[in-house]
Amino acid sequence: MKFIDNARDPWRTITGEDGPMVTLTPAPNSLLTLAQWHSVRSTWPAGMAVGVQFPNDADIEDLAEDLPRLALVVLNFPKWVDGRAYSQARLLRSRYRYAGEVRATGEVLVDMMPLLQRTGFDAVALRADQSIEVAERALNFFPGHYQADVTEHRPLFKRPAGQETTNREFNQAGSAI
Amino acid sequence: MFFLLIYERPYSHGSPRTELQAMYQYTPFDTQFVKQRAAQFRDQLQRNLAGTLGDDEFRALRLQNGWYIQRHAPMARIAVPYGELSATQLRMLARIAREFDRGYAHFTTRQNCQYNWIPLPKAADVMDLLASVSMHGIQTSGNCIRNITSDCFAGVAADEVIDPRPYCEILRQWSTLNPEFAFLPRKFKIAVSGAKEDRAAIAWHDIGLQLLKNEAGEIGFKVLVGGGMGRTPVIGTVISEFLPWQQILVYLEAIVRVYNRYGRRDNMYKARIKILVKAEGQRFLDDVAAEFKKILELDSDGTEQIIPQAEFDRVAAHFVTPAGVAPVPGNTSANSRIDIPADAPAAYQRWLERNVHPHQLAGYRSVTLSLKRTGQAPGDATDTQMELAAELAERFSQAELRVSHDQNLVLPWVRESDLFALWQAARAASFATPNIGLLTDMIACPGGDFCALANARSIPIAEAITERFDDIDELYDIGDIDLHISGCINSCGHHHSGHIGILGVDKDGSEWYQVTLGGLDGSAISGHQSTPGKVIGPSFAADEVPDVIEAVLDTYRAQRSTAAERFIDTVNRIGLDPFKTAANAQRRSTAKA
Repeated sequence: MKFIDNARDPWRTITGEDGPMVTLTPAPNSLLTLAQWHSVRSTWPAGMAVGVQFPNDADIEDLAEDLPRLALVVLNFPKWVDGRAYSQARLLRSRYRYAGEVRATGEVLVDMMPLLQRTGFDAVALRADQSIEVAERALNFFPGHYQADVTEHRPLFKRPAGQETTNREFNQAGSAI
Repeated sequence: MFFLLIYERPYSHGSPRTELQAMYQYTPFDTQFVKQRAAQFRDQLQRNLAGTLGDDEFRALRLQNGWYIQRHAPMARIAVPYGELSATQLRMLARIAREFDRGYAHFTTRQNCQYNWIPLPKAADVMDLLASVSMHGIQTSGNCIRNITSDCFAGVAADEVIDPRPYCEILRQWSTLNPEFAFLPRKFKIAVSGAKEDRAAIAWHDIGLQLLKNEAGEIGFKVLVGGGMGRTPVIGTVISEFLPWQQILVYLEAIVRVYNRYGRRDNMYKARIKILVKAEGQRFLDDVAAEFKKILELDSDGTEQIIPQAEFDRVAAHFVTPAGVAPVPGNTSANSRIDIPADAPAAYQRWLERNVHPHQLAGYRSVTLSLKRTGQAPGDATDTQMELAAELAERFSQAELRVSHDQNLVLPWVRESDLFALWQAARAASFATPNIGLLTDMIACPGGDFCALANARSIPIAEAITERFDDIDELYDIGDIDLHISGCINSCGHHHSGHIGILGVDKDGSEWYQVTLGGLDGSAISGHQSTPGKVIGPSFAADEVPDVIEAVLDTYRAQRSTAAERFIDTVNRIGLDPFKTAANAQRRSTAKA
């Protein structure tokens, strides 16, 4: 999982004083709103890296055709308990085989990390007050899960016996029992 | 007699611990999983107590582990998956009640167990203890897929077509920490039934699953979606008449994904799937069908979720008949008779009639331990009572119990020849009130005495009715009836589905009670139908409620066509008016309507 440091992030939104600019000049690593992308996609130069910020109440299916041209899809959590972007990420990976970066923005909290990872996010822009150290720890509690997910395509019952866990050490394994 | 069960397991993820019970035994994977869940919760709790995880954010996390903040202290809701409980687990619940609570616990309509007085800083210790007996509070609250519920007689019911427990366990695993569905618009409840009679109220659930066989003898599910109680009671819509069992996880994924994407999130009162199903109608059904197809045709893990026979067999092997149980020669389940000693007291015969149920195996019965008795809230049990129930389970029922949707405990494997001894022991332990299915076997939520959501108290109403109808002859004369009491519109006491429903409402800061008649929960005495009851008039004051119930029941007794006509049948035959008139005549504090 990649933790986004805004200062070093190469991706730039194209925003003027009145919000996202309607007319824009293609530049590498532009991170566009969906409306901006729609206005330029027919003319966007092949091979120039572009990303899209996709709202969590839009149909991810509508992006399917554009996916091969997108290096980054940013999905949004307006509130951290709004779980729509988990379905969007999962569909991007499992249904459309999207291989670019899927990034979580908005109210992204450390305790969401296992869910984000398992539904296909590979980058997160944590809310400013969140700790990367705690986020990394949050990824290390479970030896495996029952369901299939984006990182493991087989449910537990399809995995060969003995391979249901990895060899990692787990936090407080065995707890206080 | 002592015996051990060793399972043969085609797909082995570690051997289960050898135990006396024939119920699901945790594999090493399951055990480590709940322990790590407890460790994760401890980490979150510690961050909350240290101030680095805010109360608001911790709230959603603790809810998904069963920890509410209630009127007095946090309430802890412990999952009893599909209602199946071992004596060892019940002893642990008793120990937690004694050491961490005030010596009692409450069993709920969703087959869970609740504590009311455990201080939050102790929560992680409690989770560790629970994990040590394969228990947890995972997804017993929050906007996620809740504990799967089922028939309390699963695997033993005489009218069973298919044992639902292996399917329930497979669904439990699928729903547990499913990452895509951890933050749905609202809570999501699934109930499964495999018998002719629906004892799990499946039509009242977000998803109701009825196991059945098609004409070719293949097993599948009839799938209902969009049932629910609350402010807008809705009966589930049939979305599939027959879904092959192997595809159930794919189908549920399709339903829950459509709900996760399109369910309303702007208004929590309109966020349940029932609202989406009602608003979209056929389009919802079409969306699910399309999504189901896409998962199977397009998704990288779509077909991986089809359940292999070997996996079903692995899980089903846990739910075999216990090794110490065998049909008794000479008896058949259809005609087996219980020998009643010549000098047996009338109370024993009543108990046989009300608390003892037909069984699949000749010579066996299942027995309800009534948690409805004067002086204790419906569904409550003290630590001592829980230990006594565990003892009864060990002595008479292969160390296995069930929690029923009606908030009682059930012993599923009782030999007919042990019934008299069990009755004596159960009576000594206060479990033998012969009232199962009668008025005082009521469903009631904890209400305003404990619950922060409640508008009014349920327990004093339940108590007043129990005291008013303490004459067992009168209860027998009234006969089969479902009385359900909820302290607020969230409907935890299922008032919508009661033949008589009582709902606590708040008006100007005081407690009032709305009475409904004619609700049906889908059971046999409800004619296998489900419907919400109808309100009989403006709310009543608390002190009027017992009089109203008495007046309604007097009307029934005066109007029934024969002594055999049940309350609900009289209501359906003569309509609400005679009952309304009788109820309204009881108004003292409230203006006569």
